[in-house]
Amino acid sequence: LLLNLGATGNPFHNLEKTTVLQEARMFNETPVNPRKCTHILTKILYLINQGEYLGTSEATEAFFAITKLFQSKDVMLRRLVYLGIKDLSTTAEDVIIVTSSLTKDMTGKEDLYRAAAIRALCKITDSTMLQAIERYMKQAIVDKIHAVSSAALVSSLHLMKTSPEVVKRWVNEAQEAVNGDNIMVQYHAFGLLYHIRKTDRLAVSKLVAKFTRMVLKSPYAVCMLIRIACKVMEEEGTSLDNPLFDFIECCLRHKSEMVIYEAAHAIVNLKQTTSRELAPAVSVLQLFCSSPKPTLRFAAVRTLNKIAMTHPAAVTACNLDLENLITDVNRSIATLAITTLLKTGSESSVDR
Amino acid sequence: MDSILLEPSLYMIKAIALLDNDGNRMLAKYYDNTFPTVKEQKAFEKNLFNKTHRANAEIIMLDGVTCVYRSSVDLFFYVMGSSHENELILVSVLNCLYDSVSQILRKNVEKRSLLDNLDIIMLALDEICDGGILLEADPSSVVQRVALRTDDIPLGEQTVAQVFQSAREQLKWSLLK
Repeated sequence: LLLNLGATGNPFHNLEKTTVLQEARMFNETPVNPRKCTHILTKILYLINQGEYLGTSEATEAFFAITKLFQSKDVMLRRLVYLGIKDLSTTAEDVIIVTSSLTKDMTGKEDLYRAAAIRALCKITDSTMLQAIERYMKQAIVDKIHAVSSAALVSSLHLMKTSPEVVKRWVNEAQEAVNGDNIMVQYHAFGLLYHIRKTDRLAVSKLVAKFTRMVLKSPYAVCMLIRIACKVMEEEGTSLDNPLFDFIECCLRHKSEMVIYEAAHAIVNLKQTTSRELAPAVSVLQLFCSSPKPTLRFAAVRTLNKIAMTHPAAVTACNLDLENLITDVNRSIATLAITTLLKTGSESSVDR
Repeated sequence: MDSILLEPSLYMIKAIALLDNDGNRMLAKYYDNTFPTVKEQKAFEKNLFNKTHRANAEIIMLDGVTCVYRSSVDLFFYVMGSSHENELILVSVLNCLYDSVSQILRKNVEKRSLLDNLDIIMLALDEICDGGILLEADPSSVVQRVALRTDDIPLGEQTVAQVFQSAREQLKWSLLK
């Protein structure tokens, strides 16, 4: 390896932008040398990641050089080409030139290409071109390969910003995907369904009512559902004596800590919450206070601190746990524990 | 109560950063406009590094951002989200990032090894987060998707199916001889 090892032992240290861009001319040679081209492309991506500024003409030239690498069948190189396309898509001109190459990869046989090609393609696509690939997008959303399905769903969500009318037509495919058994696909499909409907209050209420009754496998999707349920309850000003609140309370007994915490956090932050509803949420937060995981202790004490501002009496049950956290190795946790105790504890506990 | 109910959204990761033991950026991706310029990003990274490199405490609030972090030898991994974000979700992203990198580098989670495999690490980062949305939280799925040739993975980390596949292939060849 002929790497220029700098003083820091970093072969990418002190790369000269102009030199690297000049090396990219090698991309035009046929046949493509995958090993050398991979190394040069990695250097370009590294420079961009370091925040190096490429002007329009530099970016466009680099972009066109990169498109030449589509000739190579090397999997790693092709995947880096997609990264290059995405990184340069906002600065280079005429990026739509790669549409057909990416569409080919998106619908081709190589699964390692398909998901990544969809994401790159959607990055360079505008509303008019989107109609041309609509059929493929719908198929990809319901693809049996999870990575392909997730890539299509997440890309659809990004496209909602520029082409909401087109993406709204894919709701049936998203419905089908949400029923699948992969937790990420379910999360992305559920998220897309919500984003499509979020301006229609009635549709959101129906969505929430439906999913609080069935069991979502993905803990990420459940966290999202809890947030939507809270929003619906706040907007409609419903009392806490309703099925949505029951659902949130039920999530305090979920098997995933992420969901348990999300539910406790939601209950604490709902406007209508009284000390009666707070009690079970405080109990789980109290358990988290003695967890070996710093993040769990942090999340618990931060939420208890929030409760202490309005319902200090509800937190007094945790005073002993909070006292133990005063000496926590994580200073944020220790500080939060002290400020919480100042609101709830008696002078004696602070002295101790 | 000053309510901070989270706006439901799949966009929940503000940034992911890998720094070396001098606080220099190895790789970093910013997904929203919290730190709009490279200058602000790097200033934030320096500040973050100074506040975290000695305290192995896993979580910190800085500049109104919740940062969860882990380190190994001379590398520091950070995942950033809103200060109202569910911290445990951010930690699940951090763990996926760390475990994916660890598998790719065959447990040599250090700067030298990272730089030797920078291309694969960039692909892995791209598989974990897409424009601020968590794309994949399972490290073995991430590793499988980054085009790492299977013969590069040590036997202990191959799936049973892969081992069977290669055994079957070897048998086929020995029969053909």
